[in-house]
Amino acid sequence: MANYAMALDYKNCINCKACEVACKEENGVLKGADKHRIWVGANEVKGEWPNLDIVSATFVPSQCQHCEEAPCQDVCPTNATYYNEHGVVLVNAEMCILCSYCMNACPYDARYVDDRTATVDKCTFCSDTRLARGETTTACQNTCPTKVRTFGDLDDPNSEISELLRTREHFTLKSHLGTKPKLYYLT
Amino acid sequence: MKIEISRRRFLQGSVALSVVGGTSLGLTSVFAESEEHGSDMVTTKTGTGPATEVATLCEMCVNKCAALARVENGVITKLNPNPMFPKSRNMLCPRGNAGIQSVYDPDRLKYPMIRIGEKGEGKFKRVSWDEAYEAILNGTDKFPGMAKILDEEKDNRSSFLFCAGEGMAEHTFKTFFSAFGSSNWLNHSSLCLQTVTSGYGVTIGAYALADLENAEYVIMAGANRAEAIVTPDTMDIFKRTKGRGAKMICIDPRFTNTAAKADKWLAINPGTDLAFVLALTYVILSEEIYDKAYVAENFNGFEEYKNSVLSNKYTPEWAEKITTIKAKDIYEIAREFMAHAPKAVYYPGRRSTFSNNDFQLRRAMAIFQALSGGIDTKGGLIFGKKLKLGEHEGLEPIYARAESRAIEKVKGEKGQSGYEDCAIVAGGGSWISWRNRYIEDKMPYKVRGMFIYKHNPMMNMPNIQKTAQMMKKMELVVAIDTMPTDTVMYADVVLPECTYLERTDPVKTFEGAEPAIAQRNKVIEPMFETKPVIDIMRGLTQKISKTLFGITKKYDEDVRDELALLESDPLSEDNNATTAVKKTLEQREAEVYAEFDMTKPFEQTQEEINEHIVKAIYGEGAVKALEEHGVFYPNMDRFFKQISANEHQYYPEKEKSYRVGNGKVKTESKKVECNLQAMAEKGIDPMPVWRDEYNFSVPDSKFRLLTGRHAQFTQSGTANNTVLLDLMSENYIWINRKVATEKGIEFGDLVEVSSSIGKTRLKAYPTEKIGPKMVFFIHGFGEESEALTWAYKNGGNDNAVIEDAIEPVYGASSMHETNVEIRKV
Repeated sequence: MANYAMALDYKNCINCKACEVACKEENGVLKGADKHRIWVGANEVKGEWPNLDIVSATFVPSQCQHCEEAPCQDVCPTNATYYNEHGVVLVNAEMCILCSYCMNACPYDARYVDDRTATVDKCTFCSDTRLARGETTTACQNTCPTKVRTFGDLDDPNSEISELLRTREHFTLKSHLGTKPKLYYLT
Repeated sequence: MKIEISRRRFLQGSVALSVVGGTSLGLTSVFAESEEHGSDMVTTKTGTGPATEVATLCEMCVNKCAALARVENGVITKLNPNPMFPKSRNMLCPRGNAGIQSVYDPDRLKYPMIRIGEKGEGKFKRVSWDEAYEAILNGTDKFPGMAKILDEEKDNRSSFLFCAGEGMAEHTFKTFFSAFGSSNWLNHSSLCLQTVTSGYGVTIGAYALADLENAEYVIMAGANRAEAIVTPDTMDIFKRTKGRGAKMICIDPRFTNTAAKADKWLAINPGTDLAFVLALTYVILSEEIYDKAYVAENFNGFEEYKNSVLSNKYTPEWAEKITTIKAKDIYEIAREFMAHAPKAVYYPGRRSTFSNNDFQLRRAMAIFQALSGGIDTKGGLIFGKKLKLGEHEGLEPIYARAESRAIEKVKGEKGQSGYEDCAIVAGGGSWISWRNRYIEDKMPYKVRGMFIYKHNPMMNMPNIQKTAQMMKKMELVVAIDTMPTDTVMYADVVLPECTYLERTDPVKTFEGAEPAIAQRNKVIEPMFETKPVIDIMRGLTQKISKTLFGITKKYDEDVRDELALLESDPLSEDNNATTAVKKTLEQREAEVYAEFDMTKPFEQTQEEINEHIVKAIYGEGAVKALEEHGVFYPNMDRFFKQISANEHQYYPEKEKSYRVGNGKVKTESKKVECNLQAMAEKGIDPMPVWRDEYNFSVPDSKFRLLTGRHAQFTQSGTANNTVLLDLMSENYIWINRKVATEKGIEFGDLVEVSSSIGKTRLKAYPTEKIGPKMVFFIHGFGEESEALTWAYKNGGNDNAVIEDAIEPVYGASSMHETNVEIRKV
């Protein structure tokens, strides 16, 4: 049993979106700009040309936070959304009734509708593709030019992610909501 | 394994269509089947069953990053980064990931075709390969063949133009050009990085690499590494900015993604970077903070340059008025740069020529870098090491009737030729000068045919109307490509090349601090009836070589003399016949023909050629490593190791080639050349100086048009890629927010952009990231080929409005010299 999570050295991100394409190609995510499991949020620079505040222009790569207290799992009336044994939040397509409660409950806007399977789909940490084949990284981490992401097991004190979280300052998104997200942004 | 419906249908479609074979299909079916369009399910989930992995190299842009292609049931389901290549450092960018789409794009060229409609109309008939070759040689009722043209031009091989885009197989096509014997060759250089490579070349002897893994201070001016990705530079620098080892100053008229990652961004007037560099140089010379020891030993013409910069008073205060960069910033940057030298880099960049002073700008940058002593040293500019490769024999026959390059003759002497509007004609030629002279009937002889390989002149150079005129005037146009581009629409014969994932390309060596050899290996068999260019060249030369030699025999004085001599040989030289082996006349003629046998360079497969040129130097192990891993360098098995999930070691630190020439530059004199008198003789400033005409000025109500690159698109080459279009569906024009407000333009409004040569339309993006006197949009959109389902008329085409301004040294196109008007439509 592992407890999978991800650390993001987000200052490395150049908003190239290699991760988005790698995710789509690896996981067979539907084409369409509104169909994505991961994304890069870009904060438009503040100020007036040419006096712009560089620090305000940030790129924030993101995806499902695989919350320990996931609101999407909580509201699901059919238990289609569930935790697997490694703490990854997944969806059972057979049980999903497209009620979209999860879409409304997710504070990170991390869920979307897959029209083929009629499922509110989401990031799986590549559980059914790469991890199922015994690989140790997600597609998004593997392809990243500036190596923003580190995926790993929080329960293994010797894992790289455990080491990063011990030695680097970090924060989580919307932590005040008590969702206990497992995407850690390194400062 | 799940294959999405559309891809499966697409694959089944391919089988069905190939069974149909040579029967003539209707117009639409030559391109994509209509039912293949409209579906957007074009991604494939990778499976957990059996799969093979093939080491290849990406061709979605020019970087050639290493990839591992996952193949399941004959379908490429994923492209992953190959960690073993030091240049690409275990990464694939969005385009690299989307490379699968280039194979499964329903619009791709599938069969050889010949034109049946009017030129440029895009009406073609599907034919067999042999019929296509036959049409090239002997023409059809619509166009003349090569034999007729060469006969009428009395074997002037230069009556054919050859042009190619950048790529690993460009060499293969160029081998065909050499064997054919034309002297008219044009490539991407004059539309691309001609002035930067040459500017650095004549000043420090080479276009050097920047060691961004170790530089402590980087001036990134007019280079946008976050969006115009170059490996390994992009990966190396952005892990170290923001107070993590490297201070980066970004100089750009626009606030780019690179600016967002910089410690300081300074907006500059377009085309005035030269004034900025001259002022930096002024500071370090006047304050005497340059590396005096390095200069004393390694400079030619230093005193003249110093006098020029100081006496012209290129002060920061002077530069502020021209560039808008504050004098105090210029002082600070110059001083900081020198404080960090030699671990400081004025980044050379790698881009098109933007302004008419670009050559002088590059010279000034190279000299400034050298003044810091940061050359051939860790953390500065480096030359690195290059691993040798063996050679593959080409064929370069001499045709007596082949004229020299079709450019205006200077002083009327043969071989002494140049364009009147540029001083030097480099190997790649000047595309725009050539094209303009061609359509103005200023050629010294007739050029009537054109071979195009992986090149899109209709989209890639300013003033598309003139390019269209050129294409229409060419009597025989042969295009080799993977996609039905705007240029392919003007072809008489279309030869479909397979994509990069369906072929093995010439093995290539990559220089650097961590040099390596890499090879693109074929991942899957070519689909439909496509072929790699080496196979196309083999088939074509087998068809044409003997016939063309017949024409040479008819007109070529040298060949006729040689053959006449052979014929008279047995009689007149009879007294020597006792020692010589008797040869029949045919055998003797065959010997002469051997020099002109165009099939020779293409006898072997690419795999055989690669094996030959690698094995000769590195042995069988290297051949195996390249097939298996796609990468080889000596001691790779010992040196390469994974350090963490995200890091690899390619060479141990002490084995890296940062310093290869003890700090010497690579010019012939081994000195930095500040003062080039040979340039003065050609009317070019021998030292970088500022001229009034370089000043940025735009009339009221007009805007300077800026163009550029993007992390998710490579020029027009990716314009039809549906997965990339998910990331950005079309290009937008950046307009300063205040200007947009005044004009009542809001986000998404359609805007018409017009210049003296034409107009284009695209949607507006009002933003604070650009100044009020300029507008910007990325290149590569707005194609006119109806056979490109997603790229057709999608967004605006910059080359419909960019005027054909010609840079005076190498005749490169200056992309940022055009003023435009904009209006909401």
